[in-house]
Amino acid sequence: MAASAPKENPTNPLSGVVRPLATAARQFTKSLIRPSTIVYPYERLEDPKFRGKVAVASGRPIGVGDVWDNYRGVHALNIATCISCNLCAFSCPDICIEMVSVAGDDPKHPKKCPQIDYGKCSYCGFCSDACPEGCLTMTTRYELAVTKRAEMVYSPERLHEVFQRKLPMNPIRLERPANEDAILLDAPLCIGCNACARDCPTKCITMLDVPKPTARPGEKLPRRIWKEPVVNDSDCVRCGTCISVCPKECLFWGTHK
Amino acid sequence: MWINMGPQHPMTHGLWNLRVRIEGEIIEEVDPEMGYLHRGIEKISEDRHYNEVITLMDRTCYVAGLAWEHLYIIAAEQALHLEPPERAQYIRTLSDELQRIASHLMWYAAFVQDIGLMTPFLYAMRDRDLVLDLFQSYTGARMTYEYNRVGGVRNDLPTGFTDRTRKVMDWIYARFVDYDHLCLDSDIFHRRCDGIGVLSARDCVDWGVTGPMLRSAGVRRDLRKDRPYAAYDRVEFDVAVADGADVTARYLVRMEEMRQAVRIVRQTLDWLDKNPGPVLADRLPRWLGAPYAPVGREGYLLKRNFPTGRGFSSVEEPHGEAQAYVVNTGGEHPYRVKFRSPVFANIAAAQKYLPGYRVADIPPIMGSVDICVGEVDR
Repeated sequence: MAASAPKENPTNPLSGVVRPLATAARQFTKSLIRPSTIVYPYERLEDPKFRGKVAVASGRPIGVGDVWDNYRGVHALNIATCISCNLCAFSCPDICIEMVSVAGDDPKHPKKCPQIDYGKCSYCGFCSDACPEGCLTMTTRYELAVTKRAEMVYSPERLHEVFQRKLPMNPIRLERPANEDAILLDAPLCIGCNACARDCPTKCITMLDVPKPTARPGEKLPRRIWKEPVVNDSDCVRCGTCISVCPKECLFWGTHK
Repeated sequence: MWINMGPQHPMTHGLWNLRVRIEGEIIEEVDPEMGYLHRGIEKISEDRHYNEVITLMDRTCYVAGLAWEHLYIIAAEQALHLEPPERAQYIRTLSDELQRIASHLMWYAAFVQDIGLMTPFLYAMRDRDLVLDLFQSYTGARMTYEYNRVGGVRNDLPTGFTDRTRKVMDWIYARFVDYDHLCLDSDIFHRRCDGIGVLSARDCVDWGVTGPMLRSAGVRRDLRKDRPYAAYDRVEFDVAVADGADVTARYLVRMEEMRQAVRIVRQTLDWLDKNPGPVLADRLPRWLGAPYAPVGREGYLLKRNFPTGRGFSSVEEPHGEAQAYVVNTGGEHPYRVKFRSPVFANIAAAQKYLPGYRVADIPPIMGSVDICVGEVDR
């Protein structure tokens, strides 16, 4: 294949130079009057003064502040409302969330709250989508430069500081699906050990007595506590903690008959 | 003499290597080497929930994230036997077309820089920023959107979004004239781009070249028309086709595609204004809903008699025809995920469209291919 010669230029040679230059000159004069840039860090895009009106960036057809409502930046954690359900850590695709103890009232059973490693975080927002209490949300904060790698790890207390700054937060809350599965019990397997009720973050599991059957002659009753968990579905956040702590694997997801 | 253009070279737009055998100034033979950016995305996908794969899709092609999300989502929904609501279909169509504008503007910026024009680069990046602002307002991020979900999209459009988008579309549509003044009216542009990098329609088909490169050779092939997905069968648009199969023809096709994209965006906005509704399918399996708790014992889905399935999708993304294949064997993760990258085939065909031209022609020719190495290597 040989290189073909350049085609004859359809425009006349003079306009072929003048028109591009004229366009550039027009844009240049426009940009002198109305610059399209924001002078960061003196002006910030998320600044409320850009909201709803065309301010410094008057070359733009839309105000830049309008687009910050749903921004997914650094997380804010409200430790007070966190129920330690672990859903944020489960939902994280990058496994950057770890549940760590925070100083609380009860030193024997410290509360666990999410700690986020921003060196790994991809800001996908699955954790705040999964949070049933709305205590882990994403804010408009985006400046994260640090000098040490260890500083990329935000402890729950540090995330709580972000929360206390009252930054605008991502308002989107996902609705729970209408036909959500519930926790069901495989009753013959249960030994009534109370592990599920003990670890349930919302305390929606109660252990109710079941009647101890009378053993027929020759039959040996299983060794167990004669109690069974009953789940209050309206309080349950579907975190699955009970399923993971059950020693007999007798709890499972399902729909009520 | 063999010379290496890349993997660190201004021409490559990413990490890949073009080995060129030259005789004087004339290219005799080329050997594209890919794989520098391989991250094993297909393998990682096998270890993630269906929704978590979406975070990888934005990184697969970082200039057309929403189009790749859409591609994967169609296949995943087929595999899981889910039907998204109509409003979600329209939002995806809107997202795809906005993404096409953003991606083509990015291509334009990089391409004109390759041929030595710095001014249009700044204009194109400025206008692309407006589209990214729109993405930010409804997805929450500028490049890594994570917006689609299996069975729909994450959230509905915010209030005032359609008006903002209309304003931006009007603005950008007027700017296309400036782009043409800067390039098509320029003598320098024509001297550099006319008649080089010619790949005939026959060769395009033989080498699996798709997208704007194929349409620039005069082939009227566009999956949005030929095999409509989402809401493309309900919007009006024309397929951009050009003759000549050279660099200028590819420029013309992409410019026309951006104009058609604006047209589609306006139609979808009108529809979205009139038809409110849900954006996420209401009968989702629990592990696809908002929380992602552990699903308990192995074989959960098999126990629940959840049907297995396979999904295949092909989508006209800004670079060409991308394809995805998802196998659901009843686990909570996909059993296998496979992607077909259009740019991989487009680069491989460099063996056909580069020899015979000069070394100085390589940047405009490869620039006209619109390379995104992230999706080539995956």
